[in-house]
Amino acid sequence: MLLELQHRKMVPAAFDDISFDLCNRRKNVIMMSADLAHYCDLYKVTKDLPNQYVEVGMAEQNQVGVAAGLAKAGFIPVTSTFGSYASRRCFDQMLICMGTSKNTGICLAFTPGISSPAPIHHQGTEDLGMLRAIPHATVIDPMDVTDFDQALDIACDTPGLVYMRGHRGTTPKWLDPASFKFELGKTYPLRTGRYIGVISCGHASQWAVEASDILTDQGVDHSLLHVPTIKPVNEQEIIDYCFAHDEIVTIENHQISTGLGGLVCEITSKVGRAPRITRIGVPDSWAPGGSIGHIRKHFTLDPDGLAKRIAGVKA
Amino acid sequence: MISNSGKRIKTLELWAAKIRRNVVDICMQRGGYAGQGVALADVGACIFFDEMRSDGDGWYHDRFINSNGHDTIINFAAMVEMGIYSMEALRTMGADGSTIDQSPIEGARGFEITSGSLGTGVSQAAGIALGERMKGSDKRIICLLSDGELHEGSVWEAFMFAAHYRLSNFVVIIDNNDLGATGKTSDVMAVEPVRKKMEAFGFKARQINGNSIPEILESFEEARSTKDQPYAMIADTKIFTGIKVYQDAIPFAHFVGANGRWATGFLKWEPGWNEIIGTIERLENELAALDSSVSPISCFQEKIPIEDSESKTFGDYIFESTGFDNQSTILSG
Repeated sequence: MLLELQHRKMVPAAFDDISFDLCNRRKNVIMMSADLAHYCDLYKVTKDLPNQYVEVGMAEQNQVGVAAGLAKAGFIPVTSTFGSYASRRCFDQMLICMGTSKNTGICLAFTPGISSPAPIHHQGTEDLGMLRAIPHATVIDPMDVTDFDQALDIACDTPGLVYMRGHRGTTPKWLDPASFKFELGKTYPLRTGRYIGVISCGHASQWAVEASDILTDQGVDHSLLHVPTIKPVNEQEIIDYCFAHDEIVTIENHQISTGLGGLVCEITSKVGRAPRITRIGVPDSWAPGGSIGHIRKHFTLDPDGLAKRIAGVKA
Repeated sequence: MISNSGKRIKTLELWAAKIRRNVVDICMQRGGYAGQGVALADVGACIFFDEMRSDGDGWYHDRFINSNGHDTIINFAAMVEMGIYSMEALRTMGADGSTIDQSPIEGARGFEITSGSLGTGVSQAAGIALGERMKGSDKRIICLLSDGELHEGSVWEAFMFAAHYRLSNFVVIIDNNDLGATGKTSDVMAVEPVRKKMEAFGFKARQINGNSIPEILESFEEARSTKDQPYAMIADTKIFTGIKVYQDAIPFAHFVGANGRWATGFLKWEPGWNEIIGTIERLENELAALDSSVSPISCFQEKIPIEDSESKTFGDYIFESTGFDNQSTILSG
C-alpha cells in the first residue's frame, strides 16, 4: 500500500480539494473556521459553497459550541483551526458539547505537533493524549493525503466527537489509494521485517518511512506499522505486531508521554513480557521554532538521526 | 399588550406555583438549587406552558436550551406536570445510582445539551439557531443562562456570533439574580450594565422583573416581533421569590442542603412547603372563579411513558450511539 519511491509525490493545498469534494458529495457537511480558513487551505468551499461554510472569528471555544449546535440541528460540522488551539483552547467544549453527544462533530487540527514554525504557542504536542482520554471519542492522526481524505469521509459517519489531525500546505501522497482502505481502528503494515518493529502515526509515519529507506539500504532488519487511529485502536493487532518482534520503537509527532508510545505500552502491559519499547518523539521539553527540518534535527527526528536511533536499539 | 390576560396569567401563575412546589419537593430530599428554581418558576412556566409551540407529537416545535445546569431543576419541575418525569424519580436526584442528575447530561429526557460546564450552552444554542434557519425552519431557540455565567468569556463569543449572523430566531434569557457561587455577582465580578452590554453586542434587549408573568409574556412578544437581530430578556430575579419564608430566612444561597442549611444560614422546609401549597390552593380557587379549567397544553395530553424516560442510563445511551463496547479487549476504551 506504500507507493514506490518514484510514485510518491507532494500535493499542494490538499485540504482545499478534500473539503470541496466532501461538501459536494455530502450537502449536510458544514466546514467551519475560526479566522484561519486560508491558513488551513480552505478556499473553494468558502468561495463556491458559502451555504456550507460558517466563520466564527477568532473564537475557538465558540466554534466548537456552535458546531455542536449545528450537529443538533441535523448537520455534520467540521471545525478547523491549528492543533494548538483545537486541543488546548476548547478542550472543555469538545468534551462537554461533542463528547457527550451522539451527533457527529468533527474537529480538525492543522499544523499538529512540531509542524508549525512558531514555537510553543502554535505547536500542539499534547493533543493525542488529551483527546484519547475522552470516553468514546475517536482520535485519528493520518499520515498523508490518502488516509486523511478517506478518514475524513468515514468520520462523517462516526457518532460523537471525532478529533483528527490535518495536513496543510504541500502534503505527501505516499499511500496508494488503489490498495489503501482506511478503517477505524485498523493498523497498516507498510514494510515487513522481524527484528525491530517501528510503530508510528501521522506525520511521524512519513518520518518512519524516510528512516526506513535508509535502514533498508543498510540492511537493518525492521518493519513498519502505521497506526492512523489512536482511538479506538485494534489492540489485538498492536499486541500481535509487538510480540512478532524483538524490539519495538514508537515514533510520533507528539510528546512521548500520553500519545502513541504511551498507548502501545498500555496495550502491551495488559499481556506482559512484551519486547522493550523505545518511545521516540518530542521529549519532555519545549520545541524550538523554525523550519520542520530544523525542529526535527533538534530532536534527532531527521531521517539520518532517526535511522541511527532505530538501528541503535539493537545494540 | 397581552391578550386574554386575566385567565392566561392566572393559569401561568398556577403553573409557576406548581413548579415551585416540585422544586421544593426535590430539594427537601437531598438538597439542591432551591433558591434559583423557586425564583425562576415564573420564567419556566412561561417558557414551558405558553411560549414554546407544540410539535403535535408530544414535544415542542421550538427548542429550549438551559445552559446553566443549576437552573435545570425548573425543567424537571415543569416536566413532572407534563407526565414526562415522576416525582418519585425526581426525589432520587443526587442519590447514589440515580439517573436524575442535578445538571443533566445530553440525552436525558427533555435535555438537548450536557449542562453544568457554565457558558457552553449559549454557543450550542446559537449553533442550533443558525442550523434551524439554514434548514428553512421557523423554530425559535430559547437559551437560559445566569448572570454569573456572563463571567465566562465564551458566552460573549456566542453573543457576537448571534448578532453577526442576525439570528432573530434566538432569544437569550439572562437570569439576573446578582448571585454567583460564593457571593453577589456584583461583588465577585460585576456584570452590570447587562442590558447595555447586550445592546452593544447587537441584541435587542429588555430588562424586566423576572417574577412578573405579564412582563415576561410582553418580552417574549417583543422577541417574536424583532427582526434581523437576536433578543435578550434580562430577567431580574431574587432567589426564593414566591416563597416568602425561605426568602426571609436565607436571602442568599447557592445550594441548600437537605437540612435546609447554607453557609450563611438555614431555612425550615415545612413552612415554605405549606406556603406554596396554600398558594396553589388559592390560585386554583381563583381560576375556578374565572370558570377556567387548568390542564397541560395540548401537546402533552398524550404522555410519554415514564418507564421509557427513566429506564436508560447515560452509559447505555452512549454505548448504543457509538456501537463500541467499552469492556472489549480488542478496541481500547
